[in-house]
Amino acid sequence: MKRYLFIISRAPYGSNHAFEQLEAAMVAAAFDGEVHILLRDEAVWCLQVEQNGAAVAQKTLSKVLSALPSFEIEQLHACERSVTSRGVGVSPEISVGLLNLTQQTQLIGESDIVIGGQS
Amino acid sequence: MKYAVAIHGAPYSSQAAEHAVEFMEALFASGHTVERVFFFHEGAYHGLNGQVPPQTQHNTDLRPRWAALKNQGVELGICISSGIKRGVIDASEQQRYELPSLTLANDFQLVGLGQLIAAIEASDRYIEFPA
Repeated sequence: MKRYLFIISRAPYGSNHAFEQLEAAMVAAAFDGEVHILLRDEAVWCLQVEQNGAAVAQKTLSKVLSALPSFEIEQLHACERSVTSRGVGVSPEISVGLLNLTQQTQLIGESDIVIGGQS
Repeated sequence: MKYAVAIHGAPYSSQAAEHAVEFMEALFASGHTVERVFFFHEGAYHGLNGQVPPQTQHNTDLRPRWAALKNQGVELGICISSGIKRGVIDASEQQRYELPSLTLANDFQLVGLGQLIAAIEASDRYIEFPA
């Protein structure tokens, strides 16, 4: 099986993009793929503590992220610079590793398939 | 080589599909094959059957080129999750949700997200055309 990296760069709730990418990642994991997810740019807001997606009639993305291990997705990463520059308060329920740019380059290089879908 | 292709951009607001079609035509001309085209996110709009290409632009009608790809054995799969919420409806979904009309174009079919992963697994290369 291949090693997948799903990169999410868009903010939560402004579009369905983040959630749809997470759905695709879950399907890849269900196919026994090794799945990594990288949140960067505005997508790091998905990690913010005390979200309430119900206020905009959507699923709360921080809860979806905290449930990833139950979908066999253990590798959630976020861009360290994106998190710190925005002052994102990461939810303690989410297990996420912060990567610098060099580490992100390495992660992309080690992946067989990179799915981004955004420009 | 065998390719899996994903298109994420909507027709006429993104060049994703034009680039993808030209890329696939070049692939076939070079002896490669395409396992499946997967239309994801806004790309699902390519499956609507009521599109009228802009008259003011040249060579923008993708419909005959989709048909040509289909005739070469390429499956044109619209993500069912992306599609039905945007009004891209086949006969089965029309019946299921009791909708007034069927809107899926002839050369396309609604498929699950699993078909994207299955196509990637069956291919040597995956390439996506973002919005």
